[in-house]
Amino acid sequence: MNRFCEELTALLPRLRRFARGLTRDAADADDLCQQTIERVLKARNQWQEGTRLDAWTYKIMRNQWIDETRARKRRSETFGREEEGTNVGSAGHIDAENLVELGNVGRALARLPDEQREAVVLVLVEGFAYKEAAEIVGVPQGTLTSRLGRGREALLRELGEAA
Amino acid sequence: MSITEEDLMAYADEELGAKEAARVEAAIAADPALEERLAAERRLRTALRDHLRPVVDEPIPDELTAMIAAAAQVSTPEAALEADDRKIVSLATARATRNDHTAAQPSGLRQQWRSGLAIAASLVLGVVLGTQLHPGGSIVQKDGMLVASGSLSETLDNQLASAQDDGTDLRILTSFQRKDGDYCRVFEAVPTSGIACKTGGSWILERTSASTQRQTSEYRQAGSAESALMQAAQEMARGAPLDRVQEEAARSQGWSR
Repeated sequence: MNRFCEELTALLPRLRRFARGLTRDAADADDLCQQTIERVLKARNQWQEGTRLDAWTYKIMRNQWIDETRARKRRSETFGREEEGTNVGSAGHIDAENLVELGNVGRALARLPDEQREAVVLVLVEGFAYKEAAEIVGVPQGTLTSRLGRGREALLRELGEAA
Repeated sequence: MSITEEDLMAYADEELGAKEAARVEAAIAADPALEERLAAERRLRTALRDHLRPVVDEPIPDELTAMIAAAAQVSTPEAALEADDRKIVSLATARATRNDHTAAQPSGLRQQWRSGLAIAASLVLGVVLGTQLHPGGSIVQKDGMLVASGSLSETLDNQLASAQDDGTDLRILTSFQRKDGDYCRVFEAVPTSGIACKTGGSWILERTSASTQRQTSEYRQAGSAESALMQAAQEMARGAPLDRVQEEAARSQGWSR
């Protein structure tokens, strides 16, 4: 097995964690992982040796998820499902059962707007530096830190002493 | 000098240079409220990591490792492209190959195995490639093995390699008997292609790989994964792939040996 594939395989546990953080749903996260690996393998000659494979792969995963959420939004608009209206800008509603399973922390995280949630997950969970996280998301560093700040504030407010 | 919330968080995120960090540390030491805010941030970080930690410890789904392992068989992207170039088969050539196969007995086993690739290469143009073999739907895990279910299982049961419509999402490339006598079939689908063998009434997936087939306007290339599967099938097989008559006979007995 070549080095690229070895590194990618070693990355799988973390990729699955990031996918779970992005999607908030285990089945969606598994689908997202599979789609991401497909994209990554197809694009692997675009990866520059010596750069971070994790950041590159996260970026592909994140873009894949954006595509998926847009497609779902279009579908829900097409079918005019009103209950989706309460969740504009996110991947779709999470049903009550999932919310119970998520626990306090998961619920608070799930309620964040997508862009704040991804900033929080990239920096606080995945441990990327601001600069790297901004590069993955494709925004200026100031935008990234402001999203992170708002997300973190909301979580601290919601979880308070429990956190 | 006052410390902003941003300073404090940047300190927690280890984003400050030594001088700035020292300034924040001094302020924290002098102000219990700042210290408590920092402690709350650290508790939040721990809570978030704990929340997502179980995911890291879960077993990795076989599909993911199989996809990467299949890609690793092709050493470099350049090599894959070259290999693909050699495999470009025009639709006419593919048909001719199949006709040859039925008209005159081709020379040797190798020639017969090539026809599977030719079938892989003869898919009609314009097919929607977006259809997915959903991991939860068509391939399920049972006793540590991957087992075909749903539409995949149905197609494996019923579809003859020698008689299929162009333009289907799931194609049988070839059928053969492996050395222990079990019937096996090579299938091609997006995103997963593989080899399934009928064992104990179920189609057990002996091999899976991410589909690498691609289409251009006039030519269809058999992907590297599909040719790797055909190669593997050839090694697993006892003799030549089944011809149409043998396939029909095997199907009528439910692919049991």
